[in-house]
Parts: sequence; structure tokens; C-alpha cells
Amino acid sequence: MPIASTPLTLAAGWVALGFLALLGIAVLWYIFTERIDLRFLISEPNGDASMARFQLLIFTFVIAASLFLIIAAPNPPRFPDQIPQGVLILLGVSSSSYLVSKGIQFSRDEGVESRAPEVKIAPAMAQTSAGGSPVQFKADVLRLANTAVIWNIRSGPGTVDQNGFYTPPESPAGGPVLTGTVVIEAVSKADPALSDLATITLI
Amino acid sequence: MIQLREAAAYFVLSYIAALAVIVIVKLLTRRINTHALLYGRTAEGKLYFSPERVQLLLFTLWTALTFFMQTIQNRRSGKLPDIPDMTLGLLAGSHMVYLCGKGMAMIRWKSNKGEK
Repeated sequence: MPIASTPLTLAAGWVALGFLALLGIAVLWYIFTERIDLRFLISEPNGDASMARFQLLIFTFVIAASLFLIIAAPNPPRFPDQIPQGVLILLGVSSSSYLVSKGIQFSRDEGVESRAPEVKIAPAMAQTSAGGSPVQFKADVLRLANTAVIWNIRSGPGTVDQNGFYTPPESPAGGPVLTGTVVIEAVSKADPALSDLATITLI
Repeated sequence: MIQLREAAAYFVLSYIAALAVIVIVKLLTRRINTHALLYGRTAEGKLYFSPERVQLLLFTLWTALTFFMQTIQNRRSGKLPDIPDMTLGLLAGSHMVYLCGKGMAMIRWKSNKGEK
């Protein structure tokens, strides 16, 4: 039975839709600008791409899109009375295959951790201005016992301390606004060959 | 004036499509790692071209595309299309072949390492 659309329910519906839309757009933007990192979306811990994960990704997308289509297409929209057994079995096969594959992968240490050590700075990009707010960076050293790093400025103005705290330069009095790009680096103390870079844009 | 239902439908459909496009573009431009997707590893850790992964990929794409096309054709019915038992059987068999190949590689690796 359709719900009567009072002004209050309509207003609540629009507010909820607006909120969810903003949240969804924010997630899409973060994915697009790589602040949500999808590089290892279908990768196993050892760095190889996983067919089990890939097939689960495909079926999840297809069934989610299909379910929404058949909910929204009829007039008025309605949830289906029944989900076909075949679809449930398909999801079960896909998910079970993923779980078994994960179990096989984790049954040996080399299947879990054979990627090389690395240093990763977060965030990878930041923005501030001359005389503006400082930026705190964090460096994760992966797959090394010693997680200490040495911070330094590769290029550009400003300073960075050994806690990853970047301070932009002072804005020159009466002069043009100082803009440009600053590159900072975190180098692993245990293995100086391992490092990562982050970029700060001075606007 | 656009109705709430239409706005919600357009937004969700656009969102799912945008997400799918982003993932597909990232896959094609290798910004999502696809290293060794169609390759397995021998007991010594060397890569080999894996037919079991290829057949799983083909069955997956065929099943997913067929299902989605049927959904689009019958969307106004308000029902998801059912999947034939034979298709499910073939897909399950395809997964079994893939998992057996993966399991055999693991057993060979452990034998080489002297584990039981």
C-alpha cells in the first residue's frame, strides 16, 4: 500500500536524498582523486591480482544494479516479492569461491606477505598557503621491523620536523603571494633506499 | 517539478553507473592492480599462464552479461530473472576447476617445502 505523501514526508525524503547524495558524491570524489586508494581492490596480500576477488566484484555490481533496476522501473516502485533461488545460489557460489581462495592464500606465510617493504606517506597531497596552517603528515613503514623515518624537504619552501609536521613559509610582507609546489620526503632509517614523497600545493 | 521518486531513481542509477565507469577506467589504465590476474604461481613461485583463471573469467563475464541483459529486458515486470540450473552448474564447475588448480599449486608448494 503506498504511503500518503504529506509535506512532512516529502520534506524528509528530500533531506534524506540530499544527504545521501552529498555523501555518495564525496565518496566518488575521493575515489577519483585517489584519496580512497583502489589500487589493491582485487589484489591478494602478496601483490598478485585475484580472480576470486575480481569475479566477486563483477557479480556484486551486476546484481546490485539489476536489483535497483527492477525496484525502480515499475510504477509505483516496489521491492520484489521474491528473490529467485538461482540468484541467491549464484551469490553463494561467488562468495564461497572467494572465501575458499582466501583460505588457500592464507595457508602459507608467503601467500600473505611476499611484497617488498615500502614507505607510504598520508596524505599524499595537501594544500595550504604561505603563512597559513601547517600540515601534519604520517609515514607508514610496511613490512619492516624498524618503522622510523627521516623527514626532509625535497624541493620548495617551508620546513618539516621529524614528526612529519610541515610549516609553510611566512607570507612576504607587501610582496606577491608565495605560491608553488613543495615536495616532502620520508626515508626509512632501516633501509634508506625506501622512501615516499608527498606534495603540498601553496595557493 | 521532478518527483522525489524520479530524483532518487536518477541519482542511484547515475551513482552505480559512475562507480562502474570509474572502476572500469582504473582497471583499463592499470590504476587498479591487475598484475598476474590470468597467471598462477608454480611451487617455485614462478608465474605461469593459467587456463583455469581464463575459463573462470569467461564464464563470469558471460553469466553476468546474460543476467544483466535479461534484467534490462524484463525490468518492468518487477522481478529478477532466474538463472537456469545448467548455468549455475557450469559456473559452479568453473569455480571448482579454478579452486582445484589453486589448491594443487598450494599442495605442490608445501610438498617442495617438506610440509605435510
